[in-house]
Amino acid sequence: MDKIEKLKILASAAKYDVSCATSGSQRESTGGLGSAVSAGICHSFADDGRCISLLKVLFTNHCIYDCAYCANRRNNDIPRAAFTPEELVDITINFYRRNYIEGLFLSSGVMRNPDYTMARLTKVVKDLRLVHRFNGYIHLKAIPGADDALIREAGLYVDRMSVNIEIPSEENLKYLAPEKDYNSVLQPMHLINEAQQEYLPVRRNSKPAPKFVPAGQSTQLIIGATPDSDNQVLRLASNLYTENRLKRVYYSGYIHTNTSDSRLPALVAPPLKRENRLYQADWLMRFYEFRVDEIVDDTHPDLDLELDPKLAYALRHPEIFPVDIQKANLHTLLRVPGIGPKSARLILSARRYGNVSSYLLKKMGVVMKRARFFITCRELGGRKAPDYQPDHLRMMFLDKSARKLTPDTVQLKLF
Amino acid sequence: MINYQYDGTFPGFLSAVFEIWDRGRFPARIVPPEVAPGLFEETIEVKTADDRAGRVWKGIAKAGGKQLCQRLMHVFLSRESGVEDLMLFILRQLFDNKKNVAGDLSVEEVLRFTQMERKVLREVHRLYMFLRFEQTADGTWFAPVSPKYDVLPMTLNHFESRFSDQSWLIYDTVRKYGYYYDAKVVEEITIDNPAFDKETGSLPLEAQSADEQQWQQMWRSYFKHIAIKERANPRLQRQFMPKRFWKHLTEKR
Repeated sequence: MDKIEKLKILASAAKYDVSCATSGSQRESTGGLGSAVSAGICHSFADDGRCISLLKVLFTNHCIYDCAYCANRRNNDIPRAAFTPEELVDITINFYRRNYIEGLFLSSGVMRNPDYTMARLTKVVKDLRLVHRFNGYIHLKAIPGADDALIREAGLYVDRMSVNIEIPSEENLKYLAPEKDYNSVLQPMHLINEAQQEYLPVRRNSKPAPKFVPAGQSTQLIIGATPDSDNQVLRLASNLYTENRLKRVYYSGYIHTNTSDSRLPALVAPPLKRENRLYQADWLMRFYEFRVDEIVDDTHPDLDLELDPKLAYALRHPEIFPVDIQKANLHTLLRVPGIGPKSARLILSARRYGNVSSYLLKKMGVVMKRARFFITCRELGGRKAPDYQPDHLRMMFLDKSARKLTPDTVQLKLF
Repeated sequence: MINYQYDGTFPGFLSAVFEIWDRGRFPARIVPPEVAPGLFEETIEVKTADDRAGRVWKGIAKAGGKQLCQRLMHVFLSRESGVEDLMLFILRQLFDNKKNVAGDLSVEEVLRFTQMERKVLREVHRLYMFLRFEQTADGTWFAPVSPKYDVLPMTLNHFESRFSDQSWLIYDTVRKYGYYYDAKVVEEITIDNPAFDKETGSLPLEAQSADEQQWQQMWRSYFKHIAIKERANPRLQRQFMPKRFWKHLTEKR
């Protein structure tokens, strides 16, 4: 089989992994090939609108496991292929030199056993770094069940490592993938986190000390393949952020590929709206200083599909509004619908020079058609009239967003 | 109102600044060469003088800091009409009122200045994203670009450090000039070879390296197969990757 055919199979097999970030790693040029900039660079956008920044491929789509949700499961009748390390290195370098990509995102099905697979992956990244002096970005999957020493070795050559949890609760994981359990996934995550913490103080004392996974680790959760609630999903994510110091949790709306498996829901379309709401909630936790229990709790276990989670929060908490633009602190400003982290900081810097008018707010990028119901500033007085009651506001915002919400984006309830 | 007409270069702009303060005459405007003078307006043609420009440049750095110098340069590169007014406003505050207002977004001019700078920097980043090299028969890597603003010089450090071991040539097909890097230093060039198509910047097949087409085909195939059909979203794709970039994108040609 030639390279182009292999690439076709192994790119198709890797496409369901949604991560593509290249941020968080600064690699200065070494005189060889490549650099990484901390903001990250996307190089293209695929027909589904997702960014292409890394060459995202599987090393092989052969797999010894039979997880119900995975397109590459053992019992699926699909074409299989495997790269040699040399082929993969060659493609990476040639794509990189043409400025197609920022680097490599290498994942793999498990062939023979986890140790064998992890050793092959490590060989690719070592060859790239040591033989070809490749200094671009590398994101590597850690294979659950592989020996600690192998994962620790690979961590020295890559920018980011990730282990996918895929199913947001252990009981459902065991139902869909009887050969797996949470421990096998969480264990490498703890290991990576520990190793990162070990290397940090060393680097503080001596700069040339090696970096261990400098761009941190990430994971992915499949949404809609199991009946897990948004509360479960977001609590898990919040724990991963705080306990394992993950940089990112990705949410991937389930796409019904393995149609013959009756354990899976027959979704007509992936639950894109729910996925979008989860990302919004995730952003609230990472950039807006929200705690997970402020977004979902036992009484509201699922996110409102019709309203974004921040607006929903604002309508549940009328007591904190209206917010005075001239006096409120950053934490409070970030809670106002229509104000983002950028505009909140612009407000802080602009109000040192004087009063901030609603015209200026608009110019700063504040979405006034939302924010104006929740703030007071120079010419917008406090509004206590019944027009601005939560129920009324909800109806008003719904009317506007109802058009966007077509029935097929709502997930079917099958459980 | 006196119009100071400069030659369109950055030193020319700085020379005009010098003359305005030299003559001590406001109200004044600095206008680019393509603007026709109004019937009842006095227009002074400014001669570009490097020593004067240098003095203004140093003066700005001293009063406003290096960062302000850079920001003025960025905004200047936009070449949008009216940016001279915004820049002059900031310089007037700096020199006459001894105030660096560049951070005060509550001032309309400063806000527009900041937004203009953001647009220019975004264009720089888009070159990082969408530039595509092709290997020529002699091993040089060639990339045609057509940025909205004249930002090619601002990208050189990035490409030099990233592709430091390959010789490359980046050519701006809008402004008809480029930069050549021989794996040691970067120099500005123009291309006079009549066989080269300056409008499109496209390389004829025979000028490409033997396996260039094979790699391009592989990239196109990768591009096609990495997309998830069930999630097709052409609108989102165009939003992130506007059509004006497609003509130089291997995967979209």
